[in-house]
Amino acid sequence: MQGTKVVRPFPFFRAGQRASQPQLAKPILVLEDVYKFFRPDQPTLRGVDLSVERGEFVFITGPSGAGKSTLLKLVYRELRVDEGRVLFCGRDIARLTDKSIPFLRRNLGIVFQDFRIIDHWTVFENVAVALEIVSMPQRLIRSRVAEALERVGLAGRGPEQTSNLSGGEQQRVAVARAIVPEPALILADEPTGNLDPHLAIDILTLFEEINATGTTVLFATHDHSLISKRDHRLISIDDGRVSEAQQGLKHWQGSSGIHTLVG
Amino acid sequence: MDVKSAITRARRGLREERRLYVVAVTSLAVAFICLGATLLGVTNLDAAATRWGQSGRITLFLKDDADPQDIAQLRVVLEGLADVDEVTHVTPTQARESFLEEADVGADLSSLPSEVFPASLEVALVQGVTRERSESIAMRLTQFRAVSDVESYGSWFQKLDNLLWGARMLAAGLAVLVMFCVVAVIGNTIRLAVARRRQEIEVMKLCGATNGFVRGPFVLEGMFQGFASSLLAILALLAGYLALHDSVDSTLAALTGSRVVFLGAWTLVAMLLGGAVIGAVGSAVSVRRYLAV
Ligand SMILES: Nc1ncnc2c1ncn2[C@@H]1O[C@H](COP(=O)(O)OP(=O)(O)OP(=O)(O)O)[C@@H](O)[C@H]1O
Ligand SMILES: [Mg+2]
Repeated sequence: MQGTKVVRPFPFFRAGQRASQPQLAKPILVLEDVYKFFRPDQPTLRGVDLSVERGEFVFITGPSGAGKSTLLKLVYRELRVDEGRVLFCGRDIARLTDKSIPFLRRNLGIVFQDFRIIDHWTVFENVAVALEIVSMPQRLIRSRVAEALERVGLAGRGPEQTSNLSGGEQQRVAVARAIVPEPALILADEPTGNLDPHLAIDILTLFEEINATGTTVLFATHDHSLISKRDHRLISIDDGRVSEAQQGLKHWQGSSGIHTLVG
Repeated sequence: MDVKSAITRARRGLREERRLYVVAVTSLAVAFICLGATLLGVTNLDAAATRWGQSGRITLFLKDDADPQDIAQLRVVLEGLADVDEVTHVTPTQARESFLEEADVGADLSSLPSEVFPASLEVALVQGVTRERSESIAMRLTQFRAVSDVESYGSWFQKLDNLLWGARMLAAGLAVLVMFCVVAVIGNTIRLAVARRRQEIEVMKLCGATNGFVRGPFVLEGMFQGFASSLLAILALLAGYLALHDSVDSTLAALTGSRVVFLGAWTLVAMLLGGAVIGAVGSAVSVRRYLAV
């Protein structure tokens, strides 16, 4: 993890620079009174306020269609807020020009339910793509990819064809691709949605290990068996608003029960 | 833009979409062959016109009953002119022989009597005599008593000029047409390639690839298609030229005294570079359109 320098042209993470003290003290992600409309009369997100500290592990939950994916898309600028601000490392993402979006995304690792890995590429190529886009030297790419594959439990599997891997292994490849540029923040949108319960726990544990090295993780899921097994901070989106518990489901203070919470 | 990575990815794209590109390059090569063939025509007409223009000559056809003394006098006058290089007297017998020899038309004409071939004076002009000058000399020579007719080949030159102009226009029109063809075919190929690589483009964008990074290989692939198809066309034309020029040459030499030439070096370079540039521009335009990034 440490030692190798990362090229991060995004202003607050210039080449190999670690965040300065004042930046470290600030939350890594802040949402201020965020509104997102897909239909003019009915906002999908209404007045969302949220603050995520560096190094946190946060579950985002809520019924299907609540807006979990929408919230994450606002962070990686697939979507733009209609009102309010989204601050990543203190900078308003909504105000970024289209040209700067790639530099924002180089600070993020994104994992999806459907893996989004390229079948006809090898495992190595699927992971290496995250470094090739910043024109890293091949020698460095090889060592960093090997390291990332080792962290996700796929050591030495680089030359294999991705289409031959199992679902759980494919998702591990996707996680390796997300962590290989050493992003500050990982966004996982139902990464266990396509996996059986046993594998889901494995992948969750993998994200926790990544979190343990200092990377902030936002983990969206509506699988309440996963959430109930852990004591992470829990944010629930329902009817466009967020409510939260600082320490897992046990401490949930809302009047409604678990089932309305997770759908 | 990282050129090295773009080249690596373009090579992979060409490899993975082999069939698509083979079809595109082949059809573009046909378009380039049409253009190249027209240019070949222009080049040869141009070469012939230049050769004839330089070796100006006038033929004076003599009356059958011309007085030999008049003819001798005419020769003296002609040889005295500064523009005249050489004067040759061709008798009907000689004319018949050289006709039969050059025309190579078969036995049934060899029975032609030499009377049907008029005697003539072949006047070769010195190098650099303009066409206008040779016309005016010809005009003056008609007044001699022994002369029945003067051929200064002026109408020939006019016809050749018209032909040359027409061929040039055709080539220019074809060049424009081929340009559109290249842009359209490459645009379509790129559209298909983008659709097939939709998934990997999305992944690259999510990892933080810039638009330039994503577009780079497509532009290179377009450039390659343009270059490869013009190269293919040139090779096909060269093969055709090498196979045919021996037989065409002898016929042409008999008729016009000139030989077939291939496209000049600069024309070849222009075709190759033009193909590459139009290919790159065409794909850059269409990748912008189909890759709404
Ligand atoms: N691009 C879009 N255009 C129109 N409506 C959209 C768009 N994206 C999302 N929506 C709507 O916004 C709402 C929230 O969608 P979102 O995908 O964020 O839900 P989710 O919480 O991720 O659900 P799930 O758990 O099923 O993934 C849904 O009602 C959806 O129909
Ligand atoms: Mg979703």
